[in-house]
Amino acid sequence: MISVFLQHELKSFWRSKNTGKSIAVRIVLGIFILYLLLCALGAGFFMDGILKHYFPKQDVIVSFCGILFIYYLFELLSRVQLQELPTLKVQPYLQLPVKRNSLARYLAVTSLISTFNFLPLLLFVPFIVKVIAAKAGGGVAIIFIVAILGISVFNNYLALYVKRKANLNALIFFVANMVLILFALGDFLWHLYSISAISYLFFGHLINHPVLVLVPLVLAVAMYFINFSYLKQNLYLEELSTRKTTYKSSTEYPFLNRFGMVGDLVANEIKLILRNKRPNSAFKMGFIFLFYGLIFYRNPSMKNLDGSAVFAGMFMTGFFIISYGQYMFSWQAAHFDGLLVSKLNFTDFLRAKYLLFTMVSTVAFLLTIPYAYLSWRIVLVHFVMYLWNIGVNTTIVLFFANRNAKRIDLSKGAAFNWEGVGATQWIMSIPIMLAPFIIYLPLRLLGYPNVPLVVLAGIGLIFIFSRSFWLKKLTANFYKNKFKIAEGFRNK
Amino acid sequence: MISIQNLTKVYGGATVVNVPHLEINRGESVGLVGNNGAGKTTLFRMMLDLIRPETGEVLSNGELVAGHEAWKNYTASYLDEGFLIDYLTPEEYFYFIGGLHQQTQAHVDDFLASQVDFFNGEILKKGKYIRDLSKGNQSKVGIASCLLQKPELLMLDEPFANIDPSTQIRLKNVLKDLNKRQGVTTLISSHDLSHITDVCDRILLMEKGKIIKDISTNSSTLGELEDYFAVGQSAVSPVKIDEEENH
Repeated sequence: MISVFLQHELKSFWRSKNTGKSIAVRIVLGIFILYLLLCALGAGFFMDGILKHYFPKQDVIVSFCGILFIYYLFELLSRVQLQELPTLKVQPYLQLPVKRNSLARYLAVTSLISTFNFLPLLLFVPFIVKVIAAKAGGGVAIIFIVAILGISVFNNYLALYVKRKANLNALIFFVANMVLILFALGDFLWHLYSISAISYLFFGHLINHPVLVLVPLVLAVAMYFINFSYLKQNLYLEELSTRKTTYKSSTEYPFLNRFGMVGDLVANEIKLILRNKRPNSAFKMGFIFLFYGLIFYRNPSMKNLDGSAVFAGMFMTGFFIISYGQYMFSWQAAHFDGLLVSKLNFTDFLRAKYLLFTMVSTVAFLLTIPYAYLSWRIVLVHFVMYLWNIGVNTTIVLFFANRNAKRIDLSKGAAFNWEGVGATQWIMSIPIMLAPFIIYLPLRLLGYPNVPLVVLAGIGLIFIFSRSFWLKKLTANFYKNKFKIAEGFRNK
Repeated sequence: MISIQNLTKVYGGATVVNVPHLEINRGESVGLVGNNGAGKTTLFRMMLDLIRPETGEVLSNGELVAGHEAWKNYTASYLDEGFLIDYLTPEEYFYFIGGLHQQTQAHVDDFLASQVDFFNGEILKKGKYIRDLSKGNQSKVGIASCLLQKPELLMLDEPFANIDPSTQIRLKNVLKDLNKRQGVTTLISSHDLSHITDVCDRILLMEKGKIIKDISTNSSTLGELEDYFAVGQSAVSPVKIDEEENH
């Protein structure tokens, strides 16, 4: 039975519209994934060198045994955030004469197909073969691999169990994260204990007492059965789906009223962002990006500060424009037909986008003002890039929105979600990333520190004041592509 | 009101709609029937400028629908859930649609108060987003938002599907009232032959993209349609195709 399920699973992957219809997208994705895998494999092969570099006084095996638990702690933390629950896929089988056992087993087994479970193999097995097998013999190496697999499987089911529980009660998600974070802080911040010492305690003894391998194995098997029996008991639609049933109240944003219809549209879009998972995380990422400068401006040597502030400033004040705007109109794919037949002026529709971008960008800029503690010049450059963002980048993003016809299902999460990704996004990133530097760098290299900033700000202002012109162009352009966009959005 | 000339649509080599000529006069109530794949929804979509026809044109009040927007002022339509902004609460959605027609919130509230029976306590103040409503209730929201717009032309695709019997009967009365008393031109598709013959004065029967029958409703129309749809079936009892059609 499981093999039939797996066949269906494969079909659903290859036939899904979001897998990327065009070969180009698939190839780029393939290369990207391959690159990540090669990086992991490379890190695995040079693990002994890397460990030697960071812990020069220790034996590499000691360091290796020390990092394993740390790796698994952070793995568990990221699994809890990112790993997807294989849930609703069983819906079509629930009413068929299929045993609940095989459904639960299927859900449990397929969850093993996850990057998280392959990564440790790529990272650690090369080292085990290279160093441990050479020093302690093949038998111990196999024991090590088994132990690593055991912990991976244990982590896998523990994370899924926590996530399933968290679906029913959001508090559990919070508590689980807190426990993990506090556990990590206990070592790295408060130095109450050493995770790497605990890790060595286990793996170090594993070399001399191979029987210890039973510990991770038993844990893995136990966690599997806990997960399995929980699934089996809770194989009901309402519990599998993540829908929560709190009272949803209507909201108004009075400050938007002065903008009339455009304000109403912005209000709708704010609701879109706040009430749907994926745009919501795109929005929140924008705020996390406000700390981007802390990485960039760590040592503010005046020499290249401007240049990095141009880059970081563009992302900090414009992250929302780029991350949310790149999928523009796709967010509204589900009700695009309704918008098209409603008594809605498309120019107003675009004006609302401009207003939304300007508002979020303005807030982002205001929030970056504390960087003045490092240097007022940073804030100046941020302001220049803010003008650039609300002038130029908004227009670029909307230009490409007219060329994007990929539907997005709002209810799905953001992590590893390739839905709606197409060639448009790759092409769009070129002008967005390059344009400011094509203007900035040559002038800067000619030895003018201020001229390029004036030019960037000037171009931004020109775009802002010529918005009505761009609105006209974009509207005309939209009507040319309207049917294609609407058709694409109808394709589920 | 509506005039269609040489309208065709081709998907992958197959002609799915082919209407050489069709006139719908102001104040008519027109019903569109036909089996799945007959081209009803595609015809609707072309009349609403949602898909580009291969050839031909649709005129509304003498003006081309394609590329123009004046028709949006007096046309209300609901084809499927794709017309609803599903992350809004029903109230928010009604306010938005009302706002598009320059109606104040108080105005919309008045309208909603008049629809209490139609909503049957399932829609308003339920603390649910539209996406959390059942299909039938979503359809009610869509139909009510059409009525809110006070249209001169109303287009509904299978409004009787998914909704409960009481609401079906209520909806029939609403549609009759709109047409007879307020002179609204209505264009409705349905698989429910008795409903459609009850509500509409004129029935268009579509088959494989063509309008093969154009009859004004009388006492024998229902029988005539049932005979057409029962072709090739041995059962004597009339066949009702009430399956909801998903496009």
